[in-house]
Amino acid sequence: MDVLGAWKAFVNVSERGSFTQGAAATRVPQSVASRRIAALEQHLGEQLFDRSSRRAMLTQFGRDMLPSAKRLVRLAEAMEHEAERARLNPLRLAVPGICAVRDLARLDAEAREKGIHLDFHTAGPAERAELARNREVRAALTAVPPGDGSWSVPLGLAGATRSPGDTVYVETLRLGRAARSSRRSRIWIQPEDDVPHIRDPLFRIRDATGLQPAQVAVSATLTAATAEVLGSADLLLCSYRQAGELELHWRRIGEIDLVRGFDVSAAVGDDARRLRTRLRTEIARCLGADDRDGTAP
Amino acid sequence: MSVERRLVRELRRTLDDAGLRGSLLVRDLRSGDELGIDPDLEFPIASLVKVPLAMATLDRVRRGELDGSTQILVQPGGITTPGPTGLGRFRHPARVAVDDLLYLSTAVSDGTAADALFELTPPAEVAAALDGFGLRGIRVRHTIRELNETVAERLGPADTHLAHSLAIGAGTAGRGHRIPQLDVTRANSGSARAFVELLQALWTPSEIDPGVAERVRGLMADNLLRQRLAPDFSSDASKWSSKTGTLLNLRHEIGVVEHADGQAFGVAVLTESRVPAFHQPGAEALMAQVARTLRDELRQR
Repeated sequence: MDVLGAWKAFVNVSERGSFTQGAAATRVPQSVASRRIAALEQHLGEQLFDRSSRRAMLTQFGRDMLPSAKRLVRLAEAMEHEAERARLNPLRLAVPGICAVRDLARLDAEAREKGIHLDFHTAGPAERAELARNREVRAALTAVPPGDGSWSVPLGLAGATRSPGDTVYVETLRLGRAARSSRRSRIWIQPEDDVPHIRDPLFRIRDATGLQPAQVAVSATLTAATAEVLGSADLLLCSYRQAGELELHWRRIGEIDLVRGFDVSAAVGDDARRLRTRLRTEIARCLGADDRDGTAP
Repeated sequence: MSVERRLVRELRRTLDDAGLRGSLLVRDLRSGDELGIDPDLEFPIASLVKVPLAMATLDRVRRGELDGSTQILVQPGGITTPGPTGLGRFRHPARVAVDDLLYLSTAVSDGTAADALFELTPPAEVAAALDGFGLRGIRVRHTIRELNETVAERLGPADTHLAHSLAIGAGTAGRGHRIPQLDVTRANSGSARAFVELLQALWTPSEIDPGVAERVRGLMADNLLRQRLAPDFSSDASKWSSKTGTLLNLRHEIGVVEHADGQAFGVAVLTESRVPAFHQPGAEALMAQVARTLRDELRQR
């Protein structure tokens, strides 16, 4: 039995004094309204309306039930309104600082079409994981080892000048014995890549190929790292897409494959699933994961 | 003085960029003028101990306690990790005379030869001999075999960088270390200043018998390991006599450069690296560069 529907019909019929008008106000045919009220009367074991009268007159029992029935109907209407508002509540999503404004705007627009309202919060990799853990955001695009993630972005080294070939070997940054006085080129790691699965293998390659410790360094900001690269022969560890945005020349790394992995971390599993499946390609574009897989032209 | 301080600060930064920390001292052996960076910082000395060992052994030969021609049966070392040389790489036992063990130990840094000599003159006696020469800054506590039984030998060649990471990260306060061979309170140890004192005693008149000092100088002149400081100090116009010491992240060399005009400089470079890699030619070249810069500054005064 649709209890709520029955009480709605009861309230409307009693207010209008007519089964016909009451059913119309409840937006059901009169037969349905009558049936519902009859079911309610049977359930309660008492008559709500005086059937002897031509008009829909309440019995004493019906009059006694009316105030609480009205309260129930009002509450149901308020709940429906709340549900509507909750549906429009934005999903606060922590995103990496590497996402371009235009890509985020497109993601937002496309998500709205799919009924998801997004509210972006830009943060570094450690902070994003923290925000999701503390539920300060509903979901975060977290940095994970590439095998564990939904999206992966191959990394390479980008420099200010075009060099022949599509591969750069870290070892070529090591100065020869006779060239000790000239400046040593450096590799800059941007904050987004200051995570163990990217930073540590690169440090290991640095040590193993005989570079100085200072030759591979983590920069405080992407801007600072890019400035170092623009004025010198330094290289920036970045994705192919980022290199394009920064107008740098990107090459693969010869010694190792470094890959950024991203996954959605959310307190509510359904939020994570919706982002992963319904917005997969849009998020991929923001992260730079829709490029060719690190292969050169 | 401020020029000098600026130079030292600059060199310290150069070492730091390369992941090195060191105790360095260069001394003009005639005038006694010296210039250094943290010269009193103590380090485990690794194979540098073979110089005091040679001094103690040759002094006993001089006193007739040992005979340089006595042949000793040496068992093969059988070590396969990178580093050991000479008898340490032998597959079969060999008979070698004491004099030749001295050559192998000092000029080729042969650890097995050095241990054969330690059998004749144990660490405590070598320490006592140093004391007798008036050289008090160098502690001799154990043999070479104990030195080589480090984590690197236990982990195997593919994991050498792990042994190095451990060596770099397991230091304790007061220059102690979880790895006994790297703990200056348990290992053979000394500072750059202690070794320059030793070089001074060998190259200029001292408590050491002139004949013994001459033999040790000869052995050091024959040093075969010339990749570290030698490229920056040897030329046709100068002679570089030295001894290297290497253990995990430690790289040392002590030596004397003698110029044709009679000038001589004692050089001691003791370093530790925070880079977990076995091969570090860049660090070795930099050690030499810094030592040379200090020497050049001292020479042009």
